[in-house]
Amino acid sequence: MWWVADTDAGSDPTGGEAGDSGDPESDSPSAPTGGLVVPVEPTPTLRAMVAYAVEAAADNGFSTIHLVEIASWRSGDPDADDRASAAERVLERAEAWANSDLDDFDGERPSVTIATKLIGADEYLFGPDDYVQVLAAYAEEHGADTVLLDPEYTPVGNTTLLQPLEFALSNTSLSVETAPVTRPTRRERLRSEATGKRFVAMFGFSLAFYLVLGDPFYWFDWVTGIATAAIVSITLSRVSIDAEPAIPRTPMRVFRGLIYVPILLFEIVKANVEVARVILDPRLPIEPTMNRMRVIVGSGLPLMTLANSITLTPGTLTVRARDSDLYVHSLIPASRDGLFDGSLERWTRFVYYGRSSARLPTPRERDDCAILQGPDATEELPIAAADGGTSSADGGGSSAAADSAVASGDEKRADRGKREAAEVADE
Amino acid sequence: MDALETARVALVVGFTLLGLFFTFVSMTGVLRLPDVYSRAHTASQADTLGAGFGLAAVALTIGWEAAGVKSVLLLFFIFVTNPTAAHAIARAAFEEGTVPWTEGDERR
Repeated sequence: MWWVADTDAGSDPTGGEAGDSGDPESDSPSAPTGGLVVPVEPTPTLRAMVAYAVEAAADNGFSTIHLVEIASWRSGDPDADDRASAAERVLERAEAWANSDLDDFDGERPSVTIATKLIGADEYLFGPDDYVQVLAAYAEEHGADTVLLDPEYTPVGNTTLLQPLEFALSNTSLSVETAPVTRPTRRERLRSEATGKRFVAMFGFSLAFYLVLGDPFYWFDWVTGIATAAIVSITLSRVSIDAEPAIPRTPMRVFRGLIYVPILLFEIVKANVEVARVILDPRLPIEPTMNRMRVIVGSGLPLMTLANSITLTPGTLTVRARDSDLYVHSLIPASRDGLFDGSLERWTRFVYYGRSSARLPTPRERDDCAILQGPDATEELPIAAADGGTSSADGGGSSAAADSAVASGDEKRADRGKREAAEVADE
Repeated sequence: MDALETARVALVVGFTLLGLFFTFVSMTGVLRLPDVYSRAHTASQADTLGAGFGLAAVALTIGWEAAGVKSVLLLFFIFVTNPTAAHAIARAAFEEGTVPWTEGDERR
């Protein structure tokens, strides 16, 4: 435990000895001992977080508490202004709490300044690595050396980012501490409010699906349907629905999604014909390459829609999504060019953000795409790095065996063959 | 009415043939293409257009009944699950460190 003594309620001191370097008693503003960066979000534990941060800063002589909110949106998205002002309000509230805590401090008011900042709004942030990068840049700029994490901090979706964030932060020079705050009872009310809309959405969807499969004009199907939908939405509404359904936005997205379906179908048929021609050609004129494309769509559902649309279109196959970079395998140059023209990306933006957001330069014009293989390659294939060189260490034998298994014609069998080959290599 | 019926049957036959054609292409592709990634391309092709045209023919045959609606739903689910499966296969290969085949490599 590297700062206040009364917090040993099971928190793990990952910060190590870092705090000792800051002299606990040097509160003089002329000798700042660094800042404390606290990423904030409207979490139920925010109030307790602020109190803890103030206490920690006072006890350990941090000169500044930086309350930062990391934007999970990108300025330019249609609702960016709303979300930015909501974030500003959260920051203002946290700042007010911090100041009142400082005023209420036992004895003299500690000389700790509070700074607030909204960061990361100029780009989409996808994974923990992006968040840490933004945080680290901010910390460096402001001479802060410690990050205090809220256990409830979940900037994207409803999956907790705490562990990946801690892991990614451990690669930086910042020291990290998780605040030992627990959920106040207030949480229950907030959560049930939040799940209300989700529950209704999930209930309506499951009931509609049930009635489509059954007979909507038969009373018994209504009874069983309502019972089934209730069970489904009680158990799954928190799991299945990631973002809060909102009234003008969600139906509009569904509507625009319906417009997108025939366009996607047309693209699929067109690409299918192109690929069929190549496959039936006796010379088999394929030129497969791996490509990288940085896409400008939000993380989560929009990214999944885009990646799946790319895969559905024959000739292009999404292999990996690393933050906003999609690694796409293309079979023929024509499909690669189609990919770099970015029409699917524009349509995805249309579905999720509306027509005005769909106008954007193609990935080619933005210089957001690269070919990773073949004579036109401009970047290295990230496979060797991702692999950690193990396959070369195993020797060529295993990959040769795997290759011959692949030639037998079926991916599943090939996969199995590969696993066997790996086992052989292990022996 | 009779002309409409003939048109419907013709469409059903046409869709079935198209579905067969794309399934055939997909099978040919799986046999001919050189590596996991390129095969994953065509394997998903069989689902999208092969099964797509097949189910369209089924829906036309059955008509606007519960089963016809279900076949449209089936199509929808295939369109959601199929790219996910193709992506999972390709991603697994990528994580294993399989380098995609390029021109000039040996066929595997």
